[in-house]
Amino acid sequence: MNRQAVRDPVLLPTAMVVWAAVLLFVLYPLGRLLVLVFWNEGPSLDAVRGLLGDWTHRAALVNSLVLAALVGVAGTVLGFAFALLAVRGSLPTWLGRALDAVVLLPLISPPFTAAIALIFALGPRGLISYHVFGLTNVSIYGLSGTFLSETLTYFPIAYLTLKAVIANIDANLEDSAFSLGARRWRVFRTVTVPLAIPGIANAFLLVSAASLADFATPLILAGTRFPVLPTQAFLQITGLYDMRGGAALCFLLLVPALAIFVGQRRWIERRGGSYVTVTGKVGAVTRIKSLSPIAITGLGVLCGAVALLVLVCYALIAAASLVKGLGADNRLSFVHYAHVFSGGLKAVRDTLIIAVLCMPVGGLFAVVLGFLVARTEFPGRRALEFAAMMNYALPGTIVGIAYLIAFNDPPLVLTGTAFILVVCYVFRYSLAGTRATMAVLAQIDPSLEEASASLGARRDVTFRRVVLPLVRPALLAGMTVLFIRAMTAISATIFLVSLSWSLVTVRILEGITNLELGQASAFSMLVIALVYLAVVLASLAMRKLNAGSLGQAGSLLGE
Amino acid sequence: MASTLRLFASLLLVLIFAGPGLAQTVNVYTAWPESLSQPIFKAYTAKTGVQINFIRLSTGELVARATAEKNNPRADVIWGAPGDGFAAAKEAGIIEPYKTANIDKIPAELRDKDGYYTAVSRNTLIFMSNAKLLKEKGLKAPTSWNDLLDPVFKGQIQTADARTSGTALTRILSIYYAFGKDEEKAIDYQKKLHKNVQVYTKSGGGCTVPASLGQTMVCIAHMPDAMEAKKKGYDVVVSFPKEGVAAVIEGVALVKGAKNREAAVKFIEWTFSKEMQDLLDRNNVYMLPTLPGASIDADVQALMKEAKLLPVDLEWVGKNRKRLVDRWINEVIRD
Repeated sequence: MNRQAVRDPVLLPTAMVVWAAVLLFVLYPLGRLLVLVFWNEGPSLDAVRGLLGDWTHRAALVNSLVLAALVGVAGTVLGFAFALLAVRGSLPTWLGRALDAVVLLPLISPPFTAAIALIFALGPRGLISYHVFGLTNVSIYGLSGTFLSETLTYFPIAYLTLKAVIANIDANLEDSAFSLGARRWRVFRTVTVPLAIPGIANAFLLVSAASLADFATPLILAGTRFPVLPTQAFLQITGLYDMRGGAALCFLLLVPALAIFVGQRRWIERRGGSYVTVTGKVGAVTRIKSLSPIAITGLGVLCGAVALLVLVCYALIAAASLVKGLGADNRLSFVHYAHVFSGGLKAVRDTLIIAVLCMPVGGLFAVVLGFLVARTEFPGRRALEFAAMMNYALPGTIVGIAYLIAFNDPPLVLTGTAFILVVCYVFRYSLAGTRATMAVLAQIDPSLEEASASLGARRDVTFRRVVLPLVRPALLAGMTVLFIRAMTAISATIFLVSLSWSLVTVRILEGITNLELGQASAFSMLVIALVYLAVVLASLAMRKLNAGSLGQAGSLLGE
Repeated sequence: MASTLRLFASLLLVLIFAGPGLAQTVNVYTAWPESLSQPIFKAYTAKTGVQINFIRLSTGELVARATAEKNNPRADVIWGAPGDGFAAAKEAGIIEPYKTANIDKIPAELRDKDGYYTAVSRNTLIFMSNAKLLKEKGLKAPTSWNDLLDPVFKGQIQTADARTSGTALTRILSIYYAFGKDEEKAIDYQKKLHKNVQVYTKSGGGCTVPASLGQTMVCIAHMPDAMEAKKKGYDVVVSFPKEGVAAVIEGVALVKGAKNREAAVKFIEWTFSKEMQDLLDRNNVYMLPTLPGASIDADVQALMKEAKLLPVDLEWVGKNRKRLVDRWINEVIRD
């Protein structure tokens, strides 16, 4: 199909621009870092020597894989359950919106807050574990706590991806199965789930890769008995002052990332078949009946319990922001908010500017990249797909250091500007949008685009008029994730914040390390409020822009 | 769409070229929490009009950032970080020797022998226990390293991970010196202590919140972190082990190739003036001044009466730190 690339006047230049961007902002910094690791006045392996002899590193590699797999599966299952309930549960509108709002919460948890809230809820003297159930010997540290915290933090990514996918499954297909006499479970098993497979595979990829790269949760919850690779790398750099060794450990993480990437692709391809459910020939919309009332109740109980746990965690954060000192002086007080709105406003403003800049840039990048990878053929397509994933799968610490090394001195000096923060987020967190786009596109019959092309539309026109409206939920999900990450991420950007550009998350981290839980919580609450506002505004804007286009896909806050 | 893109493009351009452009400034990287460092920096600005821009990072992140920026340094001074960070910075070649005019007044064990860094203050270790939990179990606050080995503290002690935290190094050194510099005894003790440890936290102060809120009974931390919890009104008691604790340094150094070298040097000089050294006490920093004769808060004085401070040999630490940490990883925490 390389003919296509040659014939199309838009495709090749677009692919080249995307490739150039990925080269500059993903491969170039990582390349500079590789040189640092393997170059010591000549090619050298001295940085990696000894690393593999360390038992903690060997254990960490295995633990990371186990954790990523567990979190990937659990997060995807949970995301699927929530998405199923939201799309097929015939929930009343308000309940659907409430569910959406709660599911978004863990994703908005700024660094460390989720893990700390979990300790408050389930720790040895936790609200749930001790004060409700009276347990005193709970162990929250180790695999169990890390697994729980990461699953809670990352399942919303799966939810966002899968919701768009399930919403796109034409209920008429399930109807056909029913009319052929299939029972509900059989329809679910043989029609609904298989049609959602591109989404499931992408959700698994996103969640497990996020777990692979996460060092903050294990840092608080894993303890020394359950070392994982990103945390080990972080410790190597910041604790043993061994940047080269730490960077080498991070590159080791690319191996499981590549394995997951190849694995999920194989899985989709081996199953073969078509996932197309959007053909442009949609019949009358039928009432959805693929879920029995019992199944809905079951899903409701599961999702309700998870939502309750999430709510308790965040209620604790809200409480901490509203009292003088949680646990010490529980009187109502607004001092923390007063602090946020006096000394903290610059950080809030800076963060907002950066996050708002990220949304359109990253959203567009994600959709274009997803479209290029899913729908077109050009040289180096698979390589581009993987390269674009690398910054996401690597721990933030290393991405931050790579950016610092690459962009602190000529030829390209970007440190100290907002630009470096924006590109860092865009190339690190666009993946959710890209994978969501790919999952949705897998469901859309290419004949829709072919029809547009045969009517004489150029590929860019087709993209704008046909593809973009169809992948709208994916675009929205991608932009939401990007905005949230820009508001809450810290591991990479702690190296990139400057005197002119600070971030709220830095203040939150400061609060947590400085025993200013109230301040950290007040900042977190503000971030949560801002994210909800942004999501609602984005949904409204999307609806305005696309009034009259295909309306079957649900969206975030119950659009 | 095109016009929106153009708008963003121009916005980005504005952002790219809008850097800082102030007259007299010093750019500082510090590991001290803002609440401790900012009043001191502000006092300097009030006195001289020189703006102190600072970024707060953990010690390891600070050294990593400055190392990555080596070819084009962004900071002029590293101010307020544990001595081991400065030892690493010296080795990475990111700081340069600078001897303050007051150097003769500062005891030799409080500065690098080649003049690369000098102590701003001295810091030490303390036990912080949750008073309510102690009472529930009918226990007294631990006053000996050996008290911590009691099975009643099983899963009730939190302290810092030696791979991330300067606090942990202070702990390891405290134990080493408390056991008469017998390394085998010190390692052996730590193995026993490990059995009672619930979790090792990333940051040195990481155990203060759990201990304050009763998630754990005892937290071994640096004094300022523990006192912060007490100041906040949490029901905690502090105590010292009678065998003693190591006194480590919090240092300052000039960054190699500092862009505002002249202003940076003046700021370092001020650090060793009595004026600044007195600020440590007036701001409740809960560290001891470097300059002999600087005032020490009555609270701190009372507290320090119970403490037996064991002087640390900086040179020995520089040479043996890695081995101590490696042994901690490979022998102490390996169950």
